[in-house]
Amino acid sequence: MSVESSLVREPADRVLVIERTFNAPRPLVFKAWTDPARLVQWWGPHGFTTTVLGKMDVRPGGAYRFHMRSAEGADHWLKGVYREIKEPERLACTFTWTDAQGNATRPETVLTVLFEERGKQTKLTLHQAVFESESARDAHNNGWSGALDRLGQLVGSA
Amino acid sequence: MVNESPAADRLSATFAALADPTRRAILARLAAGQTSVTELAAPFTVSLPAISKHLKVLERAGLVERGRAAQWRPCRLDAAPLRDAADFLERYRRFWEQSLDRLDEYLRKLQKSGAQPKEKKKHVRRK
Repeated sequence: MSVESSLVREPADRVLVIERTFNAPRPLVFKAWTDPARLVQWWGPHGFTTTVLGKMDVRPGGAYRFHMRSAEGADHWLKGVYREIKEPERLACTFTWTDAQGNATRPETVLTVLFEERGKQTKLTLHQAVFESESARDAHNNGWSGALDRLGQLVGSA
Repeated sequence: MVNESPAADRLSATFAALADPTRRAILARLAAGQTSVTELAAPFTVSLPAISKHLKVLERAGLVERGRAAQWRPCRLDAAPLRDAADFLERYRRFWEQSLDRLDEYLRKLQKSGAQPKEKKKHVRRK
């Protein structure tokens, strides 16, 4: 049965993986993530404006907090703590949606971004997971995201 | 996270319940239709009590319902939490796809305007 076998075999210890190649040198791409003045230029979906609240403390253990406003005027807040900064190749942080007071409103996720040189281009791989935030406890959690996709499709069409 | 909202708690419970291959296999089986615990346990090498334990986790997460009427108490998949979890992930995908579009535009603009100090290349000057 195809659903079952893919549920078991899916090699996914991840929730979301997005790859993108940019026509720009790696240090420039990396800096767009770590310099607050640059980050707010692109962060968020189309039409969103982002403001860095307080200091964006880009070092392991350092915190960040953003306010985002959609084109329709809806407010969103998000916070996190940097876990790994390896300029210009790797960046990891927690990522949690919050209310205005900074209380989590969604499960904490862990975001990892890899920057690889591809000639004059830079390949970015973004990886976002839910379980890593509760670390080693879920070391065995492979395969569930594919399961989720498939079950989601299955039930979505029901 | 003391202040986490109920919505966040529910999602966390769903993700935690999915973080196990046996429980995912149980859900996959139940996606094909309701069944008894004994039938459910048959393809697994683990004991019936172990399967019951997994079922309790799935029940607590609201992913599985046990029938009350029939004596064999059939297990049934409840898909609503899965839908919420899938929505949660889908929103992240949209968030990043659009942010990365904007990052792409921004990087182009930066390079075109020359605002970005170019990385110094080591030129060997020749006469």
